[in-house]
Amino acid sequence: MSAINTARSPRLLVKVLCFAFAVIACVIVAVFVLFSWQTNARVTRNVVENMEASQLRFAGLDARLRREHTLQAMALAENPTLKAAVDTYYSERGNQHELGQLRSTIETELTKLQQIMDVPSLSVTDVRGIVLASAGPNKGDWPPGARMTLRVEEDGAPVEAVVMRNDHAYAATAVPLVLGRDVVGEFFLASPLDDAYAANLAAEARAEIAILLDGRVIATSTSATLRRALDSVALPLSGTIVLGGDEFVVQRLSSIDSASLYALGSVTEAARTASADSGLVLVLAGAGALLIAVGGSWWLAQTVARPIDRLSNSLAQMAKARDFDQPLPSSGGSRELDTLTATFNELRTAVALAEAESEAAYLGVIGALATALDARDPYTAGHSQRVADLSVSIGRQIQLSEADLETLRLGALLHDIGKIGVSDAVLRKPTKLTPDEFEQIKLHPTLGARILKPLRFLDAQLAIVELHHERPDGQGYPHGLKGDEIPMFARIVHVADAFDAMTSARAYRAAMPVATAIGELWRLIGVDFDAQVVQAMAALPVALTEAGSSEEPVAERLSTRSLVPFPSRATIVAGQHGQFALRRAE
Amino acid sequence: MDSLRVCAGVALSVTVLCSSERSDLSAREDATGSLSGRVHVVAHPARRLATAGVYPGRVVGIQADRDSSELDNVIVFINSSMRVDSAPQRLSIRQTNEEFVPHVVAVTTGSTVEFPNDDLIFHNVFSLSRAATFDLGRYPRNSSKARTFTKPGVVKVFCHLHSHMSAIVRVFSHPYFAFPDRNGRFTIPDVPAGRVEVTAWHERAGEVTHMATIDDGGTAELRFSLPLTDPE
Repeated sequence: MSAINTARSPRLLVKVLCFAFAVIACVIVAVFVLFSWQTNARVTRNVVENMEASQLRFAGLDARLRREHTLQAMALAENPTLKAAVDTYYSERGNQHELGQLRSTIETELTKLQQIMDVPSLSVTDVRGIVLASAGPNKGDWPPGARMTLRVEEDGAPVEAVVMRNDHAYAATAVPLVLGRDVVGEFFLASPLDDAYAANLAAEARAEIAILLDGRVIATSTSATLRRALDSVALPLSGTIVLGGDEFVVQRLSSIDSASLYALGSVTEAARTASADSGLVLVLAGAGALLIAVGGSWWLAQTVARPIDRLSNSLAQMAKARDFDQPLPSSGGSRELDTLTATFNELRTAVALAEAESEAAYLGVIGALATALDARDPYTAGHSQRVADLSVSIGRQIQLSEADLETLRLGALLHDIGKIGVSDAVLRKPTKLTPDEFEQIKLHPTLGARILKPLRFLDAQLAIVELHHERPDGQGYPHGLKGDEIPMFARIVHVADAFDAMTSARAYRAAMPVATAIGELWRLIGVDFDAQVVQAMAALPVALTEAGSSEEPVAERLSTRSLVPFPSRATIVAGQHGQFALRRAE
Repeated sequence: MDSLRVCAGVALSVTVLCSSERSDLSAREDATGSLSGRVHVVAHPARRLATAGVYPGRVVGIQADRDSSELDNVIVFINSSMRVDSAPQRLSIRQTNEEFVPHVVAVTTGSTVEFPNDDLIFHNVFSLSRAATFDLGRYPRNSSKARTFTKPGVVKVFCHLHSHMSAIVRVFSHPYFAFPDRNGRFTIPDVPAGRVEVTAWHERAGEVTHMATIDDGGTAELRFSLPLTDPE
C-alpha cells in the first residue's frame, strides 16, 4: 500500500524538506537584498564619517604643521650669519665684488640650513623682495634677482600663501629678517604642493587627496584617470560626487590662500569590501540555516512519517493475512494518528460485528436447514444437533481450543447437509438398501461440500462435511483416505455420527444400548474408528452420551449396569459386530 | 635706494640750511674754521619696526624711547678721502643686556675699539664688512677683545650668538666728524677752510650730502632735517 503511494506522490519527508528549503531560501534572498541595500547606505555613512573625522584630524594637524612651518622659518631666520650678511649687504652696495662675496655667503649659509633642517626650499630677499640667494632642490624657481611676490606684512608678521613659480605650486611662508627692531630682509620657506606631498597627506588622512588652486588640480594622490575626471568637475565643500563611474565622498580639509585641499573617499571601493564581507557572513549564515532546516525537516518528517508508515504497514499486513480480528496497534506518533487508529479499530469492530451477525444469520439458516433435513426422517430427528454436541464433548476431552471446538460444532451440525440432495425414497427406505441406493447415499459428503463451498466463512468446516465418512483403513468414502490423512475434526465427527446412529432406533431395528455401541466402537478401532477419538469418547461422562445425570464415565456406568467389567476390545468385537455392520449400511 | 623700505620706518626729516656762503675754496693749509648745525629727527608715525617675531622678548627689551635717541646713530662728517693724521683713539662698545652700546661709533684710522662683555652670557663679535672683516670669537663676562681699524669705511659688527645684536664702527681717514647731541646740535671744530661736502648719515635712512664753505676762523652753520626723499 505504502509502496504504491510512494510511486505516485513524493514522500512526506521530501515535501517537508522542499517546503523548509523554499522558505529559508526566500528568507535568505530577502535578507540578502535588504543587506545589500543597507550596506551601500551604511558604507556611504561610514565614508562620510571617516572623511569628517579625517577633516577634524587633518585640521588640527594642518594648523600644527603650518605653525611649525612658520616657527621653523622664523627660527631659521634668526641665523646670525644670514642677518649679518644681509645687513652688511646694504653698507657695501656699490662694491660689486663685495656684494658677490656676501651673496655667496648667504647662499652657503642657506644651503647649510636647508640640508641640516631638511626643508624643501629656502630663499632670502632684500627689503624690496629681490631674491639674494636660494637653496634647495627647487632653488631654480627663485634665482637671485627674481622678484618675490609674497611679502611679509607691514608690521613684519609672517605670511603664508600658495605661490606659483614656473608652473609649480608651493606653500610658502615669508618671515622677516629682523635686526634689532628693523626688518633687514625677508626669509622664505617653500614646500612644493606636488603629487608626493599629496600622497603623504593621503597616507595621513586615509583617503585620496587632491590639491586645487583656483579650481584647477595641481596635485593629487589619485590615478591619472581620476585626476582627469577631477579636472572636469567642480568639487563641493563637502558631499558626494561621481568620478569615473565611482561614487566619492568629498570633504574639503583646508585651504591656504586660493589653494584648497580635498579628501576623496571612494564609496564604491568601500562598499565592494563591505559587500564581500557581509556576503561571506550571509553565505555562512545561509548555509547554517539550511543545515538546521534540513535537520529539522528530517526530524519532523521522521516523527510524522514513521508512525504513518508503521500504521500503513500494520494495515498492509492485516490485509495480506486477511486477519482483521486483532485491533491495530497504536502508532504512538501523534494524537491525530491515534485517533485514526482508534477510528479504524471501531470500524473494524463494527464490520466484524456485522460479519458475525450475517454469519449468525447464515448459520441460523443452515442450522434450520440441517434441522429440517433431520426432520425429513423421524428416525434421524435431532441427529445433527446430537452429533454436534457429542463432537464438541470429544473435542473438549482431547483439549481442543475453544475456536476449534466452535469449528467442530458447526461442522458437525452441517455434516449431513449433503443429504438434501438424496431422495426421500432412499433416505427413508425402511429396508436394506440396494447397492445403487447405497451409492446415492455415499454422494452426500461431496454434495454437502459443494453446497457449502461458496460460503467462505465455512471453509474450515468444509473438510468435516466432506470427509466425515472416511475410515482409518481407507475403506471409507468419498476419497478413501487413510489414518492420518483424515483431519482430526472429520475423525471426531465420524465417531460421533456412528455412535448416534447406533444408539438411535431405526425403522428396521431398535436402538442399540450405549454400552453395546461403545463396544462396537472399541471393536472397530483402527478399522472404522480412530483410537484417540474412541478413547476420548469412552472417557466422557454418561450424561453427555445419553439422557441422564450421572457424572460417571461411560465405561464405569457400563460396568455397573451390566455388571460386566469394562468391556475389553475382544468381547465387544465378538458380541456386537453384526449389528453395527448392519447399521452402518444406512 | 635699497634701504628705502627701512627709511619709511626710520623717518628723519632733513632740511639743509647753508648760512655760510662765503668761502675760499683754495684756502691756506693752516686756515681752519668750524662747522656747526642741527640735525632734526622726526619720528615717523608709519615707521616700520619689526613687532612680530619668534623671540619677542628680545625685541621688547629695546627702549621704547629709542626714537628720540636715533640722533645717537647719526654721524655728520666731512665727506672727503683726505688723510689727516690724528692721535689714535681707544673706544669701547660694551655688550650690555644683549646689545652693543653704543650702537654707532666713529673713529679715525688706526684707532682701536674694545668690546667688553658685561653680560652673564657669552658674546661674540664679528664683521663681514670690507673695511674690516674679522671674528673675535666667543668670550665670557668681564672679558674684552679689541680690534684696530686701519681702513676707512663702514664696519658692521654682529654677534654670532645673538642675531639681533648689531653695531656700527664708522672709520674715517680724518677727524672731521661729530655726533649730534640730544638737541640735534653738532660742532665739528678745526675744519680746514674751504668748500667741503658735509654728509649726515644714518645706517638706514642713508646719507644726505650738502656743500658748505668753511672760512678761516669762521663757523659754517648747517641745518639737517631727516629723512631724505628717495632719489631713485
